[in-house]
Amino acid sequence: MEIKEKTFRQNIKFKLPVFMVLSGIIWVVAGKFNFPIWWQIEFVAFAFVGLVIFIIMDLPAMAPEKGPVQTTVRLLGAYAVPSIIFITVTAQLPQFDPLYELEKLNRPPIKLEGLAGPEVIAAGREIFESNKCFNCHKVFWEGNSDRGPNLGSKQIGLYSTDYIKEQILNPRKDQAPGFEDKKSKKAMPTYYGDDLSDDELDALVAFLKTLRDPTHIPVEGKFPNQWTWWDDPKIVAEGKVVYEGLEPQTEGLNCAVCHGTNGIPLMTGAFDFRDPNNMDTTKMPDHMPLPLKDWPDELYYKRVTRGIDASPMAPWGMIFPHLYLWKAEAYARTFHDPLDKRTEKRPVPPIPTKEEIARWTTDGLFLDPLL
Amino acid sequence: MDAAQIPQKKLTSSIKLTFLFLLFYGLMHLAPALSVNIGAGTSFTFFGPQIVAAEEDEDEEEDEDEDEDEDEDEEEAEAGDGEPEEEDLSYLYDIGPAKEIQNAQFVFPGLGNRKATWMAAQLHILFASFILGCPMFVVIMEVMGARRTQGVRKSIILSNVFLGVLIGTVVGIIGEIIIGIHLGVLYGMWACAFGALVVSSLNYFHKLMDVKSSALAAGVVGTIFACLVTPVEHLETSAIILAFVNGIVGGLLANLIMFAEADFKFERLAHEITKVIGICYSFTALTGGLFLLVMLVAYKDFISYLVNTFPVLFMIGYPTLFILETIVMYIYVYSWEPLNKSNKKGRHIVTGIVLNILGLTLLCALDGPATFMQTPPKPYGELFTVMSEWDRLTTATWMPLNYHRLVGNGTFGGFMVGIIAAYMYLWSKDPKEKEYYDWVGYMGNAIGVMIMIPLPAMGYIFVAEIYQYDATIGMYIMSDRESMFMLVQGLLVGTMFIASNVYMWISMQRIENAQRFFPFMKIGFVLIIIAATIWFTPRRFFATMLPEPGMNPAMVLPDNLAFLALMVAKNTAAFTLVAITLINYIFYTIATRTGKIHWGKINPLGLYTLIFMGFSDIWLMSWMGTIRELSRMNWHIYKVFKDVTPEKFTPALGESGFFVTIIVWIFFLIMTAIIWLGIKYPKSKEEKETVPVEATPQMAE
Repeated sequence: MEIKEKTFRQNIKFKLPVFMVLSGIIWVVAGKFNFPIWWQIEFVAFAFVGLVIFIIMDLPAMAPEKGPVQTTVRLLGAYAVPSIIFITVTAQLPQFDPLYELEKLNRPPIKLEGLAGPEVIAAGREIFESNKCFNCHKVFWEGNSDRGPNLGSKQIGLYSTDYIKEQILNPRKDQAPGFEDKKSKKAMPTYYGDDLSDDELDALVAFLKTLRDPTHIPVEGKFPNQWTWWDDPKIVAEGKVVYEGLEPQTEGLNCAVCHGTNGIPLMTGAFDFRDPNNMDTTKMPDHMPLPLKDWPDELYYKRVTRGIDASPMAPWGMIFPHLYLWKAEAYARTFHDPLDKRTEKRPVPPIPTKEEIARWTTDGLFLDPLL
Repeated sequence: MDAAQIPQKKLTSSIKLTFLFLLFYGLMHLAPALSVNIGAGTSFTFFGPQIVAAEEDEDEEEDEDEDEDEDEDEEEAEAGDGEPEEEDLSYLYDIGPAKEIQNAQFVFPGLGNRKATWMAAQLHILFASFILGCPMFVVIMEVMGARRTQGVRKSIILSNVFLGVLIGTVVGIIGEIIIGIHLGVLYGMWACAFGALVVSSLNYFHKLMDVKSSALAAGVVGTIFACLVTPVEHLETSAIILAFVNGIVGGLLANLIMFAEADFKFERLAHEITKVIGICYSFTALTGGLFLLVMLVAYKDFISYLVNTFPVLFMIGYPTLFILETIVMYIYVYSWEPLNKSNKKGRHIVTGIVLNILGLTLLCALDGPATFMQTPPKPYGELFTVMSEWDRLTTATWMPLNYHRLVGNGTFGGFMVGIIAAYMYLWSKDPKEKEYYDWVGYMGNAIGVMIMIPLPAMGYIFVAEIYQYDATIGMYIMSDRESMFMLVQGLLVGTMFIASNVYMWISMQRIENAQRFFPFMKIGFVLIIIAATIWFTPRRFFATMLPEPGMNPAMVLPDNLAFLALMVAKNTAAFTLVAITLINYIFYTIATRTGKIHWGKINPLGLYTLIFMGFSDIWLMSWMGTIRELSRMNWHIYKVFKDVTPEKFTPALGESGFFVTIIVWIFFLIMTAIIWLGIKYPKSKEEKETVPVEATPQMAE
């Protein structure tokens, strides 16, 4: 048995330059793929581990121990090496402050009695966090997983309190569109009815009711296979019912009375949805000089929920649930852009940032001040 | 009847009366233990009068607490009515001044109560794992080393069935959970065990000696039996295939073991490890006692509640099993040479199997309270009304933890043997001794790694059940405060697989012609590094589900790269690690069969790698125990018994890592002393007395 043993210099002569080149490539490629810096460090660190292992594999055989002292020293070394690795790794990885958890644990249980709206919402968010809802549900930009719908871009706050409660307590009953696969169907736990008190459930729903986006139509589906309500045939069909005044939940609302069942306006001055180049009204101070085909979602929403000054177009958002108004808008769009003639879907809007969400409140985009 | 008989009869009657009296007295004093078992509404009671009085008093006390003012008024009114006062029976249950004395809560200096408990519990579990894991290893080695006498062949039938049950259960549960075969564990267990039984029995009579025929026969017979005894309405093809595979495995093992050529090295190995087991057994009891005492001081209310939740287990089952296991263990240790000399090796092997069965029963029994703390059966309101003690014991995670610990202890046994081999190699001067311990290290590593391969699947099954029970616990582990702990787990697993492959590489350097595999193995190492990197890659680099004050919220993988942190990527990485290790092991095995092995000439680095691996394995085991315990959050018993002490929070990662390292160091310091005392010291003494080193060989039949 003859193995050519290498000196340490021979051992690293080839490996070290390879490692350095490889590390550079890994760093640059990881950066190009938008890996944050910690991941770049991780990948290079593992390349270094590989270098160490390959060096160890080619090290000359260790000389036998000369006596008990050397044996003891080496034995202690064999324990010290993994100890140092494990202590260092556990100390260097991201840490949390245990006292922060202690502070949360020491908070009294949530009782809604005597609390005002914002405090109830804050309590609801705390329940959302402590029940690990963020593990599967993002709320706009917050959270890390797309296992369940992003409750921000889905705009769960548009739905009724009863519907949201039902979804929490009996999640298997009505699966969110795009989440019908076997794994998703059983992903949401069914024990919240036992775990949450009535006060906690109410607070949680109060928080969820704030999750709306006045600048975009709701988004459905599981990332990356998502779509907006503009292209959802089911929503468009439901929107038709609302538009034509047949939806019981919006009794008194009938868009067709002015805008026409077929999109042919029945009233002078009513907006004609059939013409994609029809411009936005000039009656409003926030007028946008854009043809209908280029209207942002925000403009649709504002014109319907706030109405047009000095016209029969009332601020419907003050009267009817916005859920139905978005649906009616999705249908109205089909007059100039029929579903069956669309070659591609409208792009899913980017998730609004923290700053954008703050602007909705400061710019008064919501009709109510709770968010 | 003569006169002499009359006093004799009187004496007998007196003894009977005394016995009856003692029985009655004993029954009355057993009442506190039995009281929990007696369902509500039963008319029969074992309660003695004092207990009943005390219970009535407790009820009264509760009422008094609720309506203290009203009671005072009523008492005054009753006194005014001139009704006779009730007799004061408080002297019957008044314990004296002790009831007034409130001891200040003791805090362990320098550690705190939680860490003191943590240390005692972890040390106890490590020693317990040794005395459960190593006997499995020892019996297999003993069987392999025993000459195939008639008695030994009989005992091998039993040992094969036992091995069949264990392997069939592990393979079956993987089929059940990972592939989704209904009752897969039963199909696996029955088919493997029955296949092993049939083949072993036929082999005993020198029938069906061919390996292929044995495997086929066991596959068919095992499948038929498994299908007959497994209670299902519709037989599924996947279940039949699973049973057939398990039957084949059982048959193959049975045949190979029955006709394996006895090698005395195995016998010697088994005997030496047994000496260490004896001392470790004492340390298990010692640390167990320490753990209980610490709990009694630090968490007296909780330990009292837990013991009362399992009265039959803690007062009857556990002591009985422990005493039986102790007796059998001492019989096993001390009957080794006498039974060898009297040519009754078979009986000794049977004793070893009984020891293992008792050990496993004890393990399963104590997993009950451990899993009850994590996943108490729901609804909680019925824990002591509708549910029996058995219901409380057999929680949702009970069997998964049993499987996990069974496999984990097997791995533990293999790696501890590797460490013993490394120590003894380093402490030996005689080249023959070095040759032998070099081989022991090879065996320890081989068994440790082979058993480690299904370990990730067992962990997956356990966590899947936790998610099913309450996803909040699962999320706390995988995505919240323990997410970085799990990242460290990934690092440890990767480290162990890497170290294991490095050991094989070093071992192959002392085998002639083995170097032809090295270029392929190098490619394997590159893949292992890539797999370990993927396993380690987290979704985010902050330590909680959402960033807390002081954390960087930008340290999240973008959505399009998030797949690297999902289970699909992790499973692929795990599969790669396992597959490369298996391939390298196959290279290693081929090399040992085709080239000359220079035993005793291993690069000492290989021995330190064995120690590194053993240390990492035990550190990982302690770490996983830490994760499991901390996942209960601020509950002693999840959602049932809250921890209200100041130490109820999850300690930070760095602090936990340092503390686990200290515990593992303490364990290894003790183990070093035990190995020296158990093997090295007697050997040195024997050498001085010029007595042969080996255990006494068996006599010819």
